[in-house]
Amino acid sequence: MADETTSPGGVPGDVWDLLPGYALDALDDTDREAVERLLAADVDARRALDEYRDVVASFVVEAEPPAALRAGVLAQVASTPQVRDLTVPASADGPTPGGGAVVDLAARRRRRRWGTAVAAVAAAAAIAVPTTIAVQVTAERDRLREQAQVVSEMLADPDSAILRGAVEGGGEASVLVAGDDMLFRAEGLPELDPDQAYQLWVVEGDGSVSSAGLLALHDGQATSLVRGREGVGMAVSVEPESGSEQPTSAPVVVLGA
Amino acid sequence: MGQTGSVASPPVRTSSRDTIDALLTACAGGDPASFTPVYDALGPVAYGASLGVLRDPDHAAEVTQEVMVEVWQTASRFDAARGSARTWVATLARRRAVDRVRSEQAHRDRDQRETDLRTNESERDVVVEDVERRLEGSAVRRCIEGLTPTQREAVVVAYYGGLTYREVAERLDKALPTVKSRIRDGLNRLRDCLEVRRG
Repeated sequence: MADETTSPGGVPGDVWDLLPGYALDALDDTDREAVERLLAADVDARRALDEYRDVVASFVVEAEPPAALRAGVLAQVASTPQVRDLTVPASADGPTPGGGAVVDLAARRRRRRWGTAVAAVAAAAAIAVPTTIAVQVTAERDRLREQAQVVSEMLADPDSAILRGAVEGGGEASVLVAGDDMLFRAEGLPELDPDQAYQLWVVEGDGSVSSAGLLALHDGQATSLVRGREGVGMAVSVEPESGSEQPTSAPVVVLGA
Repeated sequence: MGQTGSVASPPVRTSSRDTIDALLTACAGGDPASFTPVYDALGPVAYGASLGVLRDPDHAAEVTQEVMVEVWQTASRFDAARGSARTWVATLARRRAVDRVRSEQAHRDRDQRETDLRTNESERDVVVEDVERRLEGSAVRRCIEGLTPTQREAVVVAYYGGLTYREVAERLDKALPTVKSRIRDGLNRLRDCLEVRRG
């Protein structure tokens, strides 16, 4: 039996063929992005993925974990608050959450054009970030350097850049962009009404935006590491506390150029 | 273990599946005590999935701890309509284990595994046999036997190596499209054999 081959490139049929690899965590970043776009758009693809995940899970030979682990986990659970999932229910799609700073790091790739402000950012992002901006934010860069290893790697990327801007209503936001990874930081953000939340958005090259989750605010500060998203910038808007699948208000800050 | 599986069929998880799904759903209510039975039911899934990829009991235990705390934290995201609690936890654990394999910390261990998988045909056969032995008696074992040898090898190396398609292609010295289609065809056959089809 001859092996079938698939043509290179991102045409939909080929992306479907990548679903088994997605279920196996066997894709590189580019392919994974393509699959996540397909999953966002196609309920049949999600069902197919669920089936492949069942297949992959069937390989698992259950094994009793070390006895000492039980008490450790249960103790940690007792002191760890649960995440209120404020967005559409989903299973395990999206990148592994890197921490608890953001309510939902899973990629909810609902898209919608957000209008001219974002489109302009997308267009401007096609131009290289001026060197002066990068120089001005050296201090910021130094501060970020203390963060997790992934951030170090992002900073080591010679093509990384930091974009910053004032937040409408108060505060300042910055985003470190390196490849498909983005580290968002904001400080001095005003507290919102209890029924509102700051929601972070990834702005993509075509001007569309997709949710990167709600921001958890601590003393007006918020940090969010978003990995594996092909964005050209980020934006924040004030949304209902349950979050929105698409922005429902004008952005309070857009970082893109 | 439930006592309901008395029908003359291979051992299946159906009877306990609903129970475990319900336990996981219930613990989303926020009571830490309600997580204990979830840990007891699904901890072995997380540990087994981690161990399969990492092979190192200490690393697997660390990943299990992270995963089970994540399961607690994100229990509200579990959607029984999309799959069982077992599959959900296995998916989370595998992803974390693979992330760890691919991270710097596990570099040394990974080099060892790459050596394991790369060395030669006979050692790959050992991996495949080892896998099949571990799966002894399970439904998936019977289904794996239904794969062609090349499909089986590609699927097993991808699964247990925690490798990307590209890395599998390098290991097996085959073209990337060949590996992609072998894994796709292999998983399709397993899906049909395991009867996990929905809708």
